Amino acid sequence: MARDEAALAELYDRYRVILFGLLMRILSNREEAEDVLQEVFLQVWRRAADFDANRGRPFTWLVTMTRSRGIDRLRTLAARERVAIAGARDESEAVSDAASDAFRSEQRGLVTSALAQLPDEQKRPLMLAYFDGLTQSEIAARLGAPLGTVKTRMRTGMMKLRELLAGKDASFGF
Amino acid sequence: MGHDDYKEMIPAHALSALDASDEGALNEHLATCAECRRDVAEWEATAASLALGAKPMEPSPQVREKILTGIRSEEPSLAGRSLSEKSGFDVIPFGRTPRNLWNSLGSLGSIAAVILFAALIVGIVVLWQQNRRLRQENQLVQILSSPGARLKELKGTTEAPGASAKMVFDSTGRALLIASGLPRPPQGKEYQLWFIEPKRAPRPGKTFSTDSAGRGQLEERILEVDHEYSVFAITLEPAGGVKSPTGAIYLRSDL
Repeated sequence: MARDEAALAELYDRYRVILFGLLMRILSNREEAEDVLQEVFLQVWRRAADFDANRGRPFTWLVTMTRSRGIDRLRTLAARERVAIAGARDESEAVSDAASDAFRSEQRGLVTSALAQLPDEQKRPLMLAYFDGLTQSEIAARLGAPLGTVKTRMRTGMMKLRELLAGKDASFGF
Repeated sequence: MGHDDYKEMIPAHALSALDASDEGALNEHLATCAECRRDVAEWEATAASLALGAKPMEPSPQVREKILTGIRSEEPSLAGRSLSEKSGFDVIPFGRTPRNLWNSLGSLGSIAAVILFAALIVGIVVLWQQNRRLRQENQLVQILSSPGARLKELKGTTEAPGASAKMVFDSTGRALLIASGLPRPPQGKEYQLWFIEPKRAPRPGKTFSTDSAGRGQLEERILEVDHEYSVFAITLEPAGGVKSPTGAIYLRSDL
């Protein structure tokens, strides 16, 4: 196996369950999620030179790219198709924390704990933005809340999340 | 809207949740504010942590095979070659055993052949560069002699006070940018052209690098609206370009 091919394979082995879990959460469809995951790693191969270590961690770069591709795919899928798929959401192959060497259960625990500390009114807009790709106006319409309120809650929620994760930064260094 | 207003929009920008008008206004501000660009990177890291809120799942083994088959079928690119070397990924690649070049060449005849081959390559590169320069000069003359030809000057910012550039374009949208006095971009970086219309997000143009003398050229197609209403700017960005500006502005035109 060539040198960088091995590096890409190792990168895939390390992050696949996190990235695939993210894509499944966004798309609720195994076939689509696997297709997007494949696209993401081909993009990594082609565009690794674009990664700027001064601008952020590789994890952030990978996750941002994966989420962006996932949301793009979500928007191209017909709404009714997604509703049908969401109804048959398949989580039978979810990986337990202990089952995967690659997955950092400790970091996941930190994030889920931080999210659990956010009031629902702040957490919900963040989830709708991140996993459903909704804009602030769309979130306001979905929740039946004034746009200004949604903006404030999102900003407050993000600030609180950052604050809760800040002290754990060293163990978060992927 | 002031700096603090834009700063407050950045967490939602990191979630790509801003509505189009806010996103456009913020991007325009980001093109000129290094502090806010640094904030974007920090908030993007916070947003990325939300990915861990999703339940980890195992893709089928075929995905890995498809990816590796996919990259084998592609030309080895600069990006591919630099995956482990430049990206900073904490991945340990398989090393190669260094070879003794002189032993492998074996004889003086082989050495001479290598020297001749190297000279031939240098000659081809010099001819290619001359040919490219002549072609660009020819293009410049063609555009400038077209009906409705225009010229806009770009001045160096504090990032490159000695730099300057000229953008020539004709009524068909054919354009040529010629820059000089720019610092050589670091490895993995290139200069990128931006079209900045008032009240809209900057539109990305193509990227270019510079030679050892700080000269760079770029062929582009520009929209009619850019003839009158756009500011042209050059920023330093990751090689290959980005969709929204992230780096400092090195050159910009007046309206």
